Amino acid sequence: MIASVPALGRRLAPHALPLAMLVIIIAFAVSEPAFLKPDNLIGIVRQVAITGIMAVGMTFVIMTGGIDLSVGPVLALSGVIALFSLDAGVPLPLSIVAGLSVGLVVGLLNGFIVARLELPPIIVTLAMLSMVRGSALLIGGPDLHPIRGHEAYAAIGSGDFLGLPISVHLFAAVTVLMVLVQKLTPLGLLVAAIGENERAARLSGHRTRLTKMALYAICGVGAAIAGIVQSSQVHTASAVYGEFGTELDVIASVVLGGTSLMGGNGSIARTILGVMFLGIINNGMNILNVPIDIQLIAKGVIIAVSLALSEWRA
Amino acid sequence: MTTPLIRGRGLGRIYGALTALADADFEVMPGEVRGLVGSNGAGKSTLVKILTGAVEPTSGTVEIMGEPVKLGDPSEMIRRGVACIYQHSNLAPAMSVMDNVFLGRQPVGRFGRIDKKKLEADTRALMAKHGMAIDPLATVGNLPTVKQKEVEILKALALEARVLLMDEPTGWLSAADVARLHQTIRTLRASGVAIVYISHMLDEIFSVCDTVTVMRDGRVIAECGIAEVRRARLVELMVGEKLARDSAAAASVARRPGGTGEIRLAVRDLSKKGVFRDISFDLHAGEILCLTGLIGSKRTELMRVIFGADRADGGSMTVAGQTVDFHSPGAAMAAGIGFVPEDRHRDGLMLGLSMTDNLIMSTIPQVCRSIFLDRSRVAATAKRLVADLAIQPPDVNKPARLFSGGNQQKILVGKWLNLGPKILILDEPTVGVDVGAKAEIYGILRAQRDAGAAILVVSSDLEEVTTVADRIAVMVSGRMVGIHDADAIDRSRLIEEIGGVA
Ligand SMILES: Nc1ncnc2c1ncn2[C@@H]1O[C@H](COP(=O)(O)OP(=O)(O)OP(=O)(O)O)[C@@H](O)[C@H]1O
Ligand SMILES: [Mg+2]
Repeated sequence: MIASVPALGRRLAPHALPLAMLVIIIAFAVSEPAFLKPDNLIGIVRQVAITGIMAVGMTFVIMTGGIDLSVGPVLALSGVIALFSLDAGVPLPLSIVAGLSVGLVVGLLNGFIVARLELPPIIVTLAMLSMVRGSALLIGGPDLHPIRGHEAYAAIGSGDFLGLPISVHLFAAVTVLMVLVQKLTPLGLLVAAIGENERAARLSGHRTRLTKMALYAICGVGAAIAGIVQSSQVHTASAVYGEFGTELDVIASVVLGGTSLMGGNGSIARTILGVMFLGIINNGMNILNVPIDIQLIAKGVIIAVSLALSEWRA
Repeated sequence: MTTPLIRGRGLGRIYGALTALADADFEVMPGEVRGLVGSNGAGKSTLVKILTGAVEPTSGTVEIMGEPVKLGDPSEMIRRGVACIYQHSNLAPAMSVMDNVFLGRQPVGRFGRIDKKKLEADTRALMAKHGMAIDPLATVGNLPTVKQKEVEILKALALEARVLLMDEPTGWLSAADVARLHQTIRTLRASGVAIVYISHMLDEIFSVCDTVTVMRDGRVIAECGIAEVRRARLVELMVGEKLARDSAAAASVARRPGGTGEIRLAVRDLSKKGVFRDISFDLHAGEILCLTGLIGSKRTELMRVIFGADRADGGSMTVAGQTVDFHSPGAAMAAGIGFVPEDRHRDGLMLGLSMTDNLIMSTIPQVCRSIFLDRSRVAATAKRLVADLAIQPPDVNKPARLFSGGNQQKILVGKWLNLGPKILILDEPTVGVDVGAKAEIYGILRAQRDAGAAILVVSSDLEEVTTVADRIAVMVSGRMVGIHDADAIDRSRLIEEIGGVA
């Protein structure tokens, strides 16, 4: 009989996150019925869209046993570059491409150094974090740059389409695309294979280094998309956006979704669960008027407890 | 009568619908070397893991020197003097030899720091006592497989184990190393240690064991003194009559030295500094060429260069007449070369991925439709390979980690057969594979050969070499010293040549 408690625990552990979410949703809904209003629920998705897009891009990188700490400054720089391009009279699509190419270039650089030169990702991307932040400040200075007269650009972050914010559509599109990539294409399998055993993947004829480069590039582009959504949402671009803590939220979402920092199995779909989990905690505490300092502490505790729960599986 | 050192009664272990072990009784006396044999997946490792505490049985009890012990608790078992050498290394690869040997029990000096001097001295003393020579300061991960095995044995010896469980300890050991290990075992036996020895190499069982336990389908089906049983009978008990006949027949199939005469792979003066030198040979379509030699004679290194995993410094290669210079395994595969590496855990399998994913891993383009994986093609491929290789259990979604050692090896071979390679290189393809499955793998290799593939097998197992080879090449210390038609060289001559007595 004594054995049945851990046995039950072991059976429930993989579902710890959905269960915890359910408990929290019920708790919030009971203490503040407004929490369950459709507007609020859509609001939550809108709030998490930026972190969410980055987390989706980061999942593959973490699955290969890597990490990307440089997403915060990439977000800032891509917004600044997109806005400066617009101000310089570059057409909207090209300005967006300019913003996205920031992520692409930084990601490819990260990937090249990690995969080709075989340096530890945590150091490489930490250095990149500093360099990209520096470049952003060099180009954009410490000021906020308001977005004026670019309605089409502003609509990306604040417009609606079919009753839903465009940023939510974007988040959904990125997610669906990457879920399909993971489930249906060889790349999804290859990512898992590299995370499990990179040597064996290479000996199976796969171009593991090129693949890793591509994954960092995807992660960088994700951060750049987030930067464009963010700047258009708040109608300003700034070199100081994506401040310290941004990357932690992103990484926490991925890991809460069950992807191990050691690499190996992971799932984009479950990353979304992690993203929503953090989003719900933030939103619920806002609705309940929990002071920000307490919010941060509570969030930390909840992340730690959920992670401990999912590690308990082993 | 003395009490057994360790005794298990009614041991069982169930995994979901699969019974890995059922109602097994098992005991070992002090100073007894008990062989444990049975086909892949028979439950040998499961039994051993129960005795080490790594696996908790679903039924049964274990007593050590007559006292019942708490099950499923590895530290308790270690405390009571049960040590184990597993099929695969359990060492910390980034740590030094001496740290591994005394892991967690390193001598402590002033200020609670590890006393490196004493640690090194202790390690050296232990090695001297058992006639081993490894640099205590070397990093374990950098050592060749054979040395890693010695470190593991040393680690068990350092624990002053009274019960030593060995799960296929000789997987990658050369004949000389096996002999040395057996000597160590005899010394331990004389001092009253109880030893359990699992191996698929029946020669070893007959050479070192006093008694033997046979397992089949999770059950103990026979127990007897080693003198009371003959080899053929043992094989029959293990795998059943039909497979036993097949495996006996496998030894007597006509050889085809030179194959069809068409040169598939020509290697000329291939060299890699400090590793191997001036290697030249031809591999023909329709033949099996076995490359044998001592462990450390750089055969694996040569194969890696041929497969494009490492680069050579000099020399040239042609595949079907075309000069090639592979810069990656992918390039070699594009030219029709497949490579089954020797260490299935380190280089071969993605243990956390399903058997299906592993089976298609090297042939993903074949199971794709445009840019998408074609689920039905994937499933069909997996099903076909599982049937061809008789992988047990045929559960295609089970992670590779959960298969028994021999079945993992079959997954690894299967993954390359799917490529339908023109040249198939296999490095120690039957390590850990039971007699029945060995015969099956040889059958598959011969079928590939007869279909026109050129097959290159690296093997240290002379039994295997003389069974399967059409021609035999011998490597000594990075030089190729001779190539013979398999029928033209006898075993003693071969052993001399391998030993470098040219
Ligand atoms: N954790 C697990 N979950 C599910 N099945 C398992 C697990 N561990 C072992 N098995 C299954 O139990 C059976 C017995 O495995 P075991 O490893 O004991 O075989 P073995 O006799 O050591 O074989 P081999 O000679 O190939 O090493 C196998 O069918 C294996 O697939
Ligand atoms: Mg086993």
